[in-house]
This record gives sequence, structure tokens and C-alpha cells, in this order.
Amino acid sequence: VWLLFGDIITVTIGATVPTGFEHTAAEEIKEKIGVDARISKDRGRVFFPITTDKLFQVHLLRSVDNLFVVVEEYHHYQFKESKEETLMELQQLASTLPWTNALEVWKQNGTLKKKKGHRRGGNTAKSKPNCEGVGGSMASTEQQELPQENSAPEGWAGDTQAMETSTQDSDETGHGSKLIKFRVTCNRAGDKHSFSSNEAARDFGGAVQEFFQWKADMTKFDIEVLLNIHNEEVVIGIALTEESLHRRNISHFGPTTLRSTLCYGMLRLCKPQASDIILDPMCGTGAIPLEGAIEFNHSFYVAGDNNDMAVNRTVNNICHIQKRRADKGSMSGLPIDTVQWDLCSLPIRTSSVDIIITDMPFGKRMGSRKKNWDLYPSCLREMARVCRPGSGKAVLLTQDKKCFSKAISRMGGLWRKQHTVWVNVGGLHAGVYLLKRTGAVFGQTPEDVYESRGAVHMQGEEKDDKELS
Amino acid sequence: MKLLTHNMLTSHVKGVTKGYPLLIKATEVKVNEVEFNPQFVSRMIPKLEWSALVQAAEEDLPGELVADYETNEEFLKKVHRILLEVEVLEGCLQCPESGREFPISRGIPNMLLNEDEA
Repeated sequence: VWLLFGDIITVTIGATVPTGFEHTAAEEIKEKIGVDARISKDRGRVFFPITTDKLFQVHLLRSVDNLFVVVEEYHHYQFKESKEETLMELQQLASTLPWTNALEVWKQNGTLKKKKGHRRGGNTAKSKPNCEGVGGSMASTEQQELPQENSAPEGWAGDTQAMETSTQDSDETGHGSKLIKFRVTCNRAGDKHSFSSNEAARDFGGAVQEFFQWKADMTKFDIEVLLNIHNEEVVIGIALTEESLHRRNISHFGPTTLRSTLCYGMLRLCKPQASDIILDPMCGTGAIPLEGAIEFNHSFYVAGDNNDMAVNRTVNNICHIQKRRADKGSMSGLPIDTVQWDLCSLPIRTSSVDIIITDMPFGKRMGSRKKNWDLYPSCLREMARVCRPGSGKAVLLTQDKKCFSKAISRMGGLWRKQHTVWVNVGGLHAGVYLLKRTGAVFGQTPEDVYESRGAVHMQGEEKDDKELS
Repeated sequence: MKLLTHNMLTSHVKGVTKGYPLLIKATEVKVNEVEFNPQFVSRMIPKLEWSALVQAAEEDLPGELVADYETNEEFLKKVHRILLEVEVLEGCLQCPESGREFPISRGIPNMLLNEDEA
């Protein structure tokens, strides 16, 4: 059954998002596309309906890492008892699925990307694809049942060159005129399955190849078919992004550069207002303030770090974006500045900053756990000093939850915990803490009076719930 | 370094009590076009140390803010240019009390103190 090209159809789009920020993504989808997104039980995924005439809007989303169009979803898939039977059933499934609409969307998306002037060069930190070469042509990723970062992006990286050439050929004249290359990526999570993701990818992929007469190619593929199995939930989709969007702004990476989708999620949490002054006192390569300067550009960002390389990389990243904007003919200037400073002694006027947002050293990849015991309290105090009493906020990402909670519990007079989002950063469990600056003027709360860390008594102040981590 | 940033920067050399505003000694300045947002400018003005901005701008900015500046688009555009579009690329910032100079290179002011100054 061929559809007339241009018929408007409704499909379900799936998006992978940083774990912990599913609600943020749903908010952004509601705001920019106007539909309600559904959050999957498989963490880090959201689904939403869209009509094909609005397809371009999905590429405006800043909170999503990867996008795919759903071919079919099973919420309670009943796997057969034996491995042989299960795999056989998967093979049979291939020829019965409703591929048409999804393929139509894939095609239209290809045209969209061409028009967009698909940019390259953002993904220099691509890691080796996580594939096991079973039969040489299928890719798969095994996942533990424990909440872990969706490692799929590594297996998804395709060859941009091949994508553009083949899209040109299989243009609006429809399929059949050119041999389409594909691959299957399988993600499997759950402890009750009798098969591995490798086996599923291989058998399902084999059946897909048989059905469509496409050619299997692991690296230079036109179509990436996704087979996601999470316990009883099975989703078959076709990828719409071949290069993960999460590193879109950064061209000069540092050792711990945060992905842009996570930066976006953190920024949304603090709801930047017009003319808010937003500081990142440990900016690293500037990922967070740069995302802010682009996406929430009615505020002003000051990115700072004590490290030479960090501030230079930040400036390089800013210049890279400005040049890209200038090339497109837009005004290149961004509301962002970079300063080299010591965050425990900020050269900033007291009470002059509206929001502090930063990725605090984890102590595993950078810094050390012992250093954090001293660093965190001094940081938090200095941040409280520069932050506007009453209206100020802080959004802080850290993996050292114990140290952070302890430091915060001693600062009830200056900071109150408002909300915490649990996320996964490079395989490490971390927390994004949203704090509110109390109305207390700095220098007058009991914490300021006591210099030593041994201070315990906090008069008249309600203690925050101590968090056990 | 933009002048909006300069408006917030202060010297924190040990013992200094009047470290603000820092004196700007620029050897290379650039002007970069930034999209004009009147609401941004009018809301930012009350957050600024106006006299420090007047001093830094070296242009004819009124010493006192005029009434109804929020609706004066010409005025707002002028402030917009001064706050966001003018950038000091090379030079230094000088502490008004101690005379200590903080270098600016590639637009980045280096505010790190030596051990004896902290």
C-alpha cells in the first residue's frame, strides 16, 4: 500500500531523554508541540503523537537526545517459554508490523534534514559503537535491570555522508529505485527473557531483510530499525536522528563536558526570567551557560572557572557557536561572558546574582572526595553571598550526594532545598538540587558567625530533612 | 569582557574595602551585534550600579536616570549597546584602592589572586 506523498498522518514519536528529566521533556513537548507526552516505564523515554505536517517541530526540542518514529508498541508482550519459540515469533512479527506510516515519516524526515542544512562536527567525542558482530550485520546492546544510562547513543552513530547521498537518490520518487541499507539495534532490559539482545537483533533483522529485501550494513545504513525490549514492553521504531543531539553546542570538549540535553533540563528547572543574571562558577567547557545563552537568551550568563584550559575552551565554544550563527546570517552575539576566578572567593558584588547553576566536581573523574569535604561548604557559602536574598536560586548537579547533603544541612539559614531530580551522568548516579536562597542577609546568619565546621547549633531555624544517601 | 559583567566585578584583594568599581584600561575593544530586547534592558537597569556604568562607558550616558526610561527606546538601545555589544578583548582591570592590575586576554579577565593577596 503506497501513500500519496504529502498525506498528513498521525504517528507516535519516541524520544530518549536524560534519565530524571522525563517530566522536563514532557513540559517542553507540551510547550513547543502542544501535545501531551507519555512517560515510559522504561526510564529515559517519552512518547507523543504528532501529525506529519508538524514533523519539523521535533527538531526544535532541546531536551531530547534521540528521536524515533514508533512502528508498533506492545505494553504486555507475552514471550513464549522457550528461546527458539520466542525468536521464531519475533521473526514472524517482522512481516506483520505496520511499517508504512513509519517509513513515510522516515522519508519526510530525511527531506527535512536536507533542508535544514544538516550540520556536522558536533560529535567529536563519539565513542566506539557498542556492538557485537553477530552475523556481521546486526548491532545490539545488553542492559542490566538496574537503572543505568541508556547507552544506545553509541550504537546509533551512523555515517552522515552515506545518509545524505542515499536520501538524495531515494528522493520523492519513492522507494524501489535504489537499494536501501539498514541495520537493527536492539536494547534489552529485564531478567525474565530467555534470549539475548544479540539473538533478537539477529533474528528480527534477518526477517526484516527478507521482507523488504534491504541490504544489511552496520555502518553505512540508511534506515536504523530499533527493537527496544524492557520487561514486557516492546517497542519497534525507526530512528530519526543519526547523530545524538546531546553534544550539539560543544566543539571543544573537556574531560567532563556535560551533554547539552542535561544542561537544558537543569536550566528549565530554574526557570530563567528576562534579565536574570545567571552564574556558572565552575563552568568547565561552558556547556551549561552556553546552552542557556542560546535557548534562554533573555537572561545574561557569566561563565567562570579557575582553570586556564577551561576558560579557553569555554571561549572557543562560544566563538564556534557565534561563527555558526554569523554564517547563517543571524546576529552572532550571545548574552554570555567568561571570567577566570576562584569560586571560593568570587570577585562579584554581594547579592548581585539571580541564579547559580553548575556541575559540581564529582570527586571521581575530577577533584577528590576529600577535597569535596572542604570545597562544598566554602562554595555554598560564597554562592550564598553573591546570590540575591529572597529571590535567588541555585541548581547544582553533584554525584557526591553525601557531602552535599551534609554541607547543605548546615546552611539552613542561607539555602533551602526545594526539589531534587535524580539523574545519571556517564554511568554515575547524581542529583540535581534546586535550592532557594533564603531572605537572610549574608553575614548575619549563625553559619556565618561560626568559622569552624564544628558549629552545630542553629537557633530558631528549621532544619531540613537530613538526607541519607 | 562586556560592560554588564564589569558592573558586577569587584576587587577582592585582602584588606581592600573599596574595590569597586574596577578601572578599565583597554588596549583592544570589539563591538559585536547582539539582538535587542527592550524588556531585558529596562529590567536590568535597576540591578546595575548606574554610576559605575556611566564611568565605564565613557559615553554620554546621563549621570542620573531619566524618568520613564522604560519606554524610551532610543535610550534603551544605547544602554543595550553599552551593556552587551561593546567588548574589551585585551587590557586590564585595576583595583581602585590597591592599584593591583587584573589582566584581560581574549576577552577573559583573570581575577585569580596570588597567595599573599588572598
